[in-house]
Amino acid sequence: MCLAIPMRIMQVDGFNARCEAKGVERDVSLFMMQGEDVGVGDFVMVHVGYAIQKMTPQEARSAWELFDQALGTGDLPLTSGDDHV
Amino acid sequence: MAVSARQWLERIHALDLERKVRIMNVCGGHERAITLAGLRGALPEAVELIPGPGCPVCVCPEEDVYQAMQLALNEDIVLLAFGDMLRVPVNLPKREIRTLEQARAAGADVRPIASPTEAARVARDNPNTPVVFFAAGFETTTAPVAALLREGAPDNLSVLLSGRLTWPAVAMLLDSEDAGFHALIAPGHVSTVMGPEEWEFVVRDHHIPSAVAGFTPESLLAAMYSTLRQLQEDRCFLDNCYPEVVKPGGNRSAQHCLHETLDVVDANWRGVGQIPASGFALKPALATHDARLQFPSYEDPARKRIGDMPQGCDCSRVVLGKIYPNECKLYGLACTPRSPIGPCMVSDEGACRIWWAGGVRERREPVVA
Ligand code: SF4
Repeated sequence: MCLAIPMRIMQVDGFNARCEAKGVERDVSLFMMQGEDVGVGDFVMVHVGYAIQKMTPQEARSAWELFDQALGTGDLPLTSGDDHV
Repeated sequence: MAVSARQWLERIHALDLERKVRIMNVCGGHERAITLAGLRGALPEAVELIPGPGCPVCVCPEEDVYQAMQLALNEDIVLLAFGDMLRVPVNLPKREIRTLEQARAAGADVRPIASPTEAARVARDNPNTPVVFFAAGFETTTAPVAALLREGAPDNLSVLLSGRLTWPAVAMLLDSEDAGFHALIAPGHVSTVMGPEEWEFVVRDHHIPSAVAGFTPESLLAAMYSTLRQLQEDRCFLDNCYPEVVKPGGNRSAQHCLHETLDVVDANWRGVGQIPASGFALKPALATHDARLQFPSYEDPARKRIGDMPQGCDCSRVVLGKIYPNECKLYGLACTPRSPIGPCMVSDEGACRIWWAGGVRERREPVVA
């Protein structure tokens, strides 16, 4: 659960953002991004459903390379808790 | 131009390392990236990578897991927890209910969640049922729990909080007779939230080279190279090899959430013991959301004495970086991810589980130092 992943913001509604990574969409809270200028198209590092920092597209891409390797283990952090019990 | 993993490795191999250097990491994500990328095999023999206290599931006190289980079994509530926590066994005989997963099979309403926002949703969907969120985690996970409380949790939602701060565990190791490491890879996302400055004491007070790393082989190798160079030149500083998301001062908004809702308290770490000012507790103003105060009868002080690791399980030494996972007598024999004995084999961030997933099958004899 300590894994964080970069996601791209697609829609913003208050503190709630619809984000996407590799075709998977999730609702992400921007509550801890107050004071930061984040909006649609930006990349954020997401941990347990909360954006913890903004990042550039290049940074997001290099972080994804790691998860491509991790995919083989079948526990990509995008899986919701409900999916695997 | 960015330096590739291969180039970092070449630079590390070009260093003239005279003695063994033990580099500790304190983040399950780091240990996973190191193991998956096979970095141990690629480094010079003189460099040892030690997984340290980086697994919040592993150090979550047994009495807290027990308390969550009793709550789920005996109260008419919904119990939520991050998925990993469901499979952590408490110290009870095999024929009894020993995990939250087994409690769920026995009829308790236990549900795994992946985000604190899901806890709020479940509470709103079940307005007439108390919902308890058993939340174990380090700063990166506890800050979102704090954000949930700060934003305003539904009245029927309470939190059984087992949040921990990472740096006090490292401070405790460094204050002990034998810290067991010469350099530190500081955790990337903990530093993203709390700021890299939190780790400055390692350099300032203990003269241990340190570098914050991200989760790609490049970033990890850059951090290793940095600490090795620091050692060689006898010039310690805190390096930041994850500037993409680790900014000076960290995430102030996240820290604000933590400060407004939680107090820092002394806390028990499973297999380690009490560490001063290393845990989080809800502020008194949030008492109605504090499961420890809402359901006090489930706290069992007697349990704290027996709340250590299962018999034969060496997780306490694994967590402190004193032995490698495969030096435990049960590794891969009695204890596998399919039937885990200790929490280090349960959690995705536990070193035993990570090593097993990384293909380490053979046991090794402990090296007597
Ligand atoms: S192999 Fe199993 S029993 Fe041994 S330390 Fe790891 S989790 Fe504990």
